[in-house]
Amino acid sequence: MNTASAFDKPRILRVFTGLVYLFLFVPIAVVVVFSFNSQKSLQVMDGLSFRWYEEFWNDPTLRDSLFISIEIALITMVVATVIGTALAIGLVRAHSGASRGANVLMLVPLITPEIVAGISALLIFSQLGIGLSFWTVVLAHITFSISYVTIVVRGRLASIGVEVEEAAQDLGASRWQSVRLVLFPALWPAVVAAGLLVFALSFDDFVLSFFTTGEQSQPLPVRIWSMIRFGVSPTINAIGTLMMVVSISAVALAVLIPRLFGRRESGVKVLTGAED
Amino acid sequence: MDPDLDRGQGLNASRFWNWFVAPGAIWIGLLFAVPLFLVLALSFGHVDDFGRGVYGFEWSNYQAVFDSTYVPVLVRSVSYALITVILCLLIGYPVAYFIARFGGKYRYVLIAALVIPFFVNYLVRTYAWVALLADEGLVNNWLIDLSLTDAPIQMINTPYAVIGGLVYGYIIFMILPLYGSIERMDRSVIEAGKDLYGSPFRTFIHVTLPATQPGILAGCVLVFLPAVGDFVSAQLLGGPDTYMVGNLIQDQFFAASNWPFGSALTVVMMLFLAIWMVIYLRRATRGEAEVL
Amino acid sequence: MEQAIRIENLSKKFGDFTAVNDINLEIHQGEFFSLLGPSGCGKTTLLRMLAGFEIPTSGQIKLDGEPVEKVPPHKRNVNMVFQSYALFEHLDVQDNIGFGLKRKKVAKGEIRQRVREALDLVDLGSRADARPNELSGGQRQRVALARALVNRPRVLLLDEPLGALDLKLRRQMQVELKAIQREVGITFVYVTHDQEEALSMSDRIAVMSDGRVIQCAAPEEVYEHPSEEFVAGFIGISNLLQGRAESKGRVRVGDSSLPVPDLDDSYSDGDPVQIAVRPEKVAVDEIDKDADRIRPGMFTVEGEIESMVYLGVGNQLTLKLGNGGRLVALEQATYRVQSHDQWKVGQKVKVGWHPEHCMVLR
Repeated sequence: MNTASAFDKPRILRVFTGLVYLFLFVPIAVVVVFSFNSQKSLQVMDGLSFRWYEEFWNDPTLRDSLFISIEIALITMVVATVIGTALAIGLVRAHSGASRGANVLMLVPLITPEIVAGISALLIFSQLGIGLSFWTVVLAHITFSISYVTIVVRGRLASIGVEVEEAAQDLGASRWQSVRLVLFPALWPAVVAAGLLVFALSFDDFVLSFFTTGEQSQPLPVRIWSMIRFGVSPTINAIGTLMMVVSISAVALAVLIPRLFGRRESGVKVLTGAED
Repeated sequence: MDPDLDRGQGLNASRFWNWFVAPGAIWIGLLFAVPLFLVLALSFGHVDDFGRGVYGFEWSNYQAVFDSTYVPVLVRSVSYALITVILCLLIGYPVAYFIARFGGKYRYVLIAALVIPFFVNYLVRTYAWVALLADEGLVNNWLIDLSLTDAPIQMINTPYAVIGGLVYGYIIFMILPLYGSIERMDRSVIEAGKDLYGSPFRTFIHVTLPATQPGILAGCVLVFLPAVGDFVSAQLLGGPDTYMVGNLIQDQFFAASNWPFGSALTVVMMLFLAIWMVIYLRRATRGEAEVL
Repeated sequence: MEQAIRIENLSKKFGDFTAVNDINLEIHQGEFFSLLGPSGCGKTTLLRMLAGFEIPTSGQIKLDGEPVEKVPPHKRNVNMVFQSYALFEHLDVQDNIGFGLKRKKVAKGEIRQRVREALDLVDLGSRADARPNELSGGQRQRVALARALVNRPRVLLLDEPLGALDLKLRRQMQVELKAIQREVGITFVYVTHDQEEALSMSDRIAVMSDGRVIQCAAPEEVYEHPSEEFVAGFIGISNLLQGRAESKGRVRVGDSSLPVPDLDDSYSDGDPVQIAVRPEKVAVDEIDKDADRIRPGMFTVEGEIESMVYLGVGNQLTLKLGNGGRLVALEQATYRVQSHDQWKVGQKVKVGWHPEHCMVLR
């Protein structure tokens, strides 16, 4: 390196990046800060208070929606994780034409825009005469989440490799036993991480829920949409902050749990299936 | 071990693993693939006297889609999405480059920090911009307080706000693949490029940019696809003049209650996106783009 | 000796690609048998068919007389040591080793006993409670070995188990493995691409290429009497010379007529012949000096030193011969002779070897 230029000294880049971070965080900061505003104003901070959180908690519809969102996310997490993990294992191990077809099928939800997923879910429920409700949202969420689990788990499967299962079989374990005794212990951190990821995605989901929700039990993001349509309200800041805490916690756990359980790999590597 | 050798794993191998694949494949097949065909089927139908969608064999919905009233909406959606992609690229590339090359040991912290805003619900994030950019909003108040303007500037309800909302909503999907691509790049190639091309700018154009092409393509696809169908930004930050195809579709399924027409719009949008998806996947399998 | 393994007309195809092509082998009980060959020759596929991880396309594998080619791996009385060891990271060393016994529902007390014996056999008694990720490469290798041996299989299969170890450790493990095999008396089938490893450890070697067994014999036989050019070239440097058969027992190479006692009657005058001489059998002396390394009875020819490689233990000289051919000579330094200051590039020399050391290749 002979000449000092804008290329080597990243000052312009640093400033630009800083500005972008500012751009990204300012709205978030506004939401969080004003959620503690004691006055209704969204322009002037007037002392700290929890009043908007109280408003949220004291509103039965909103409170219900929070629990509904959590329930939906939990059910989605459990079901999608089980099905998605099995799918990942099957796709990696089977070498049939059928499994190659299933692989393509699994990828389709990932590249489909949510609005399309929402509409098609709406159509099939309508066609089958199933009224929209809590359960239609759950079904739709699971459908969309399976592929995410499969992708995450599949990445981890690639790092684990097939030799340990072969070793177990060589030592007398049947195919199922080798999966249960050798593959699952090595795989579970990735499964948990995928599950928590799905939890966060489901909890935050709007478009899919919007098309498949019933009148009564609506997930929180759908309620927020109705509220926003009617105008700006400080309670939304409180809800948004709360939701952010839940989502960040879920993902933080997803990254930390593999670490906590004595694995050598970092959680990020487990999630992305990167090599050691 | 020859990687191309299929590890046969003995008798009945496929039959055993098929049990693992079946639940997921059946679920996605029944609750995702089949419904997509329903959308396609309904798009050829019409609305009966009660306002319900009925299956049929007519092209009228597709003719309506390309009617002069709706074509501007389609064109607008694509152009907004395109502008969004370009802006995301222009803004995102320097950031990704900075973190990847100059982040050092803070790289992961910087990336984590970058991702945090995206844990706030998309609606709430967009709503925050509404609060900021409204006529009575924070930005206008500051501008007036600083005497930069007398009256509030119209910021929401404009195409700029909608596109801004789209950029804000999806830029993370541009930055992450870019970061991945730049980080994976062999640094020594840049040094060699400096020797060869002399100026850092030319090195960037001829060496860095081509080397990060997979990340660029992935980012563009990951932003373009959802942006085309987005309706949240247009609804909250725009007005009737900034209607996108997503709003149009959403209307057909709720307010206007014309499901067949809505289906036709959806099919048209899907076909349009499918073309780019196929082009992208071709590139991905040829190693020119990141594989999802 | 009974046959521990009989491989009859065994083939394995993957689509259009034939990995193993009609192989016939008999492996004796208690033998240390090596499958030697370059990458892609089919040795690993053959091993995996013995283990049960691949089903042959055709042919039979008989273990103690019983056909087993369709028996799944967990039901065969055969165990394998994998190239990557494939240790169970979530179990400690003891549980790794006892895994197979537990599957067979052996009593807990007996498992403990046998695991201890296995640990002693591989010299790892002190690490019974360790986790695999706390062990060194050599230690992990021993765990893999103990884990397989503790089950007292009829046959132990080893897939290039020493490949990941550094040279010194590898040499040490070769000696230990051989000793263990002698001690337990189990038939070992050992896959490797390292010819020195195969030569030093095996009772018999099957040299493989492109899915076929080219030669199957004891190490000395394979080294001193390779049946084909491939074997000669794969095991050591061969020094190939092309010539034509002359009158009985002689081969004309260039302008020289070489005595080749190994030449049998199947060669008529004028037939093309391929002969080879091992580098360590080639003696080189300074021209115009008294014969030192060249002995009476050797066939000699004039030559020139083209290049020289210092090996520490000796020199490797590449010689250009008067008749146009090229030979590599391996000269070992001894208490008598220190070579490194003796030779210069371009130096004229006399080159010789005993006619009996000239091998005829098919």
